Amino acid sequence: MEKQVKPYMNPYLAGFLLGMVLLASFVITGRGLGASGAAKGVLVTAVGSIAPGYAEKSAFYQDFFLPGSPVSSFLVFLALGVLIGGFFSGAMSGRLGLKVERGPRIKTPVRLWFALAGGLLFGLGAQFGRGCTSGAALSGMAVLSTGGILTMMAIFGSGYAIAYFFRKLWT
Amino acid sequence: MAPFIPQGLVNPELTLFFALVLGLGFGYVLEQAGFSSSRKLAGVFYGYDFVVLRVFFTAGITAMTGLLFFSYLGWVDMSLVYINPTFLWSAVVGGAIMGFGFIMGGFCPGTSLVGAVIGKVDAMVFVAGMFIGLFVFGHFYHTFEPLYTGSFLGSPFIYETLGLSRSLFALLMALMALFAFAITQIIEDRVNKTDPARIGKRPSYVLPAMMLAGAMLVFLFLPPEKSSGLSEPRCGEIMAAWQQGGGRVDAEKVAYDIIRGNQDVVLIDLRPQEHHLHFTLPGAVNIPPEELLSRRWRAFFRKDPRHKVFFGDGTSLAARAWTAAVRQGYEGVYYLEGGLNGLFDRLFAEKPGHAPHGSNGYMNQFSERFVREARQFFMEGGAIRAEESRPVPVRTIIEIKAPDVAGGC
Repeated sequence: MEKQVKPYMNPYLAGFLLGMVLLASFVITGRGLGASGAAKGVLVTAVGSIAPGYAEKSAFYQDFFLPGSPVSSFLVFLALGVLIGGFFSGAMSGRLGLKVERGPRIKTPVRLWFALAGGLLFGLGAQFGRGCTSGAALSGMAVLSTGGILTMMAIFGSGYAIAYFFRKLWT
Repeated sequence: MAPFIPQGLVNPELTLFFALVLGLGFGYVLEQAGFSSSRKLAGVFYGYDFVVLRVFFTAGITAMTGLLFFSYLGWVDMSLVYINPTFLWSAVVGGAIMGFGFIMGGFCPGTSLVGAVIGKVDAMVFVAGMFIGLFVFGHFYHTFEPLYTGSFLGSPFIYETLGLSRSLFALLMALMALFAFAITQIIEDRVNKTDPARIGKRPSYVLPAMMLAGAMLVFLFLPPEKSSGLSEPRCGEIMAAWQQGGGRVDAEKVAYDIIRGNQDVVLIDLRPQEHHLHFTLPGAVNIPPEELLSRRWRAFFRKDPRHKVFFGDGTSLAARAWTAAVRQGYEGVYYLEGGLNGLFDRLFAEKPGHAPHGSNGYMNQFSERFVREARQFFMEGGAIRAEESRPVPVRTIIEIKAPDVAGGC
């Protein structure tokens, strides 16, 4: 298995192709790509179905009670596509298989707890930023939106600012 | 014209199909670039792997340059493209929190999906964490709301915020990216203590160079504003033109043109055909409002050099027709304020009173004398004679066009 693993694509070629997908998204749908929106769509639908009483009280869940929420279903299908496309690529390049990736100095449980915390913070931050690295930073940069570029600078700025304190996780 | 879905050019039922296809491409490229690996992603913060920066900047600049070209060519109407709104502090705080998430989790939402689907357990845990984070946001939404919806600045563009032209900003962005690519390659080699003999294996710079060339083209050759005849004027511009009285023609001007037999003007009667046949102004063409934007009249509006003045019984029908025609991109169109009723009120009113636009007494005298002349002209059947005495070009248009319609165009 290990022997068949193909190398990753030239990053500039990958970037160019990703830019083309992004451009196609703007030309066809009028908006960029996004990933965190799908998670919100799923969560809002799940909470709205399981605990409608709870969801009714919060403006956050109001989409659930509106007739048809095209944006979230669009984003959910986009995310489904990402899953299929990613799986297809991983299968072709021999990269499938259960695995925990971690820095050389930490153990698996530590890595997983930090992954959970990181996901939590990203989910929270993506709401404030009105999109994640794809929806706010990348798509925002492509349309030259001030808000998107601000969010991008804040993501990488705070990342670099705190990287030193978390160096044990990765190096 | 793009974007296709907001323009209604795509069957809405296919929207989700396009979402799936775009997602396929997105996921495939992310995985191929190595974004399914948290160690590769985190490398950008520690200098051992700058793949995130390379892919991210190349993608952003490719899409940006493409959008600039398309909007200059009039292929994409940027007023229909979603521009991320700017809520200043929410954007900054959200970004800062995401920075923490990135360092601690090693993924971002899109990359965690790709990692999870090929079996990275840390990515799966990250996705679970993301749902918890969303739930937390929802639970404390009331607390967060002032920050979340505060300091709203609209949807400005970064070049506006910085006071630069769009193409200059795009060029600077591309230069910055190339500079970053070069610097980070040096840093990466130092951090990884790369053997100088292996340096030849680095990715080629052909694509970044192409990217810069594209941005240069945008900067050097494309005009600062879109200049395509294909693009529609913005609603705001029409509104502004209308408020400044653009397109409005008053009764005296129309009467003057009729009396002088002005060949540069063609009147367009928007009333129903039986009214038109019963009575109309000399030389007027009858175009029912529902046919206004049809293909039948397109050549007339686009090619005929004369000024076209819409009129109805009153103002509103003609003003609406004018708006539609301007929105369609037709030039040299006007509407008669007050319509036929206004025209005859002005000419035959018992007391020829006020001049419609604020003018001084001297001008008023002129105006009143003209109205008297015009009244006499119409009373004596001058308008009828005018039509009979000269070959009215408008008639020819109707006669030529009529068989076209019969032919079923």
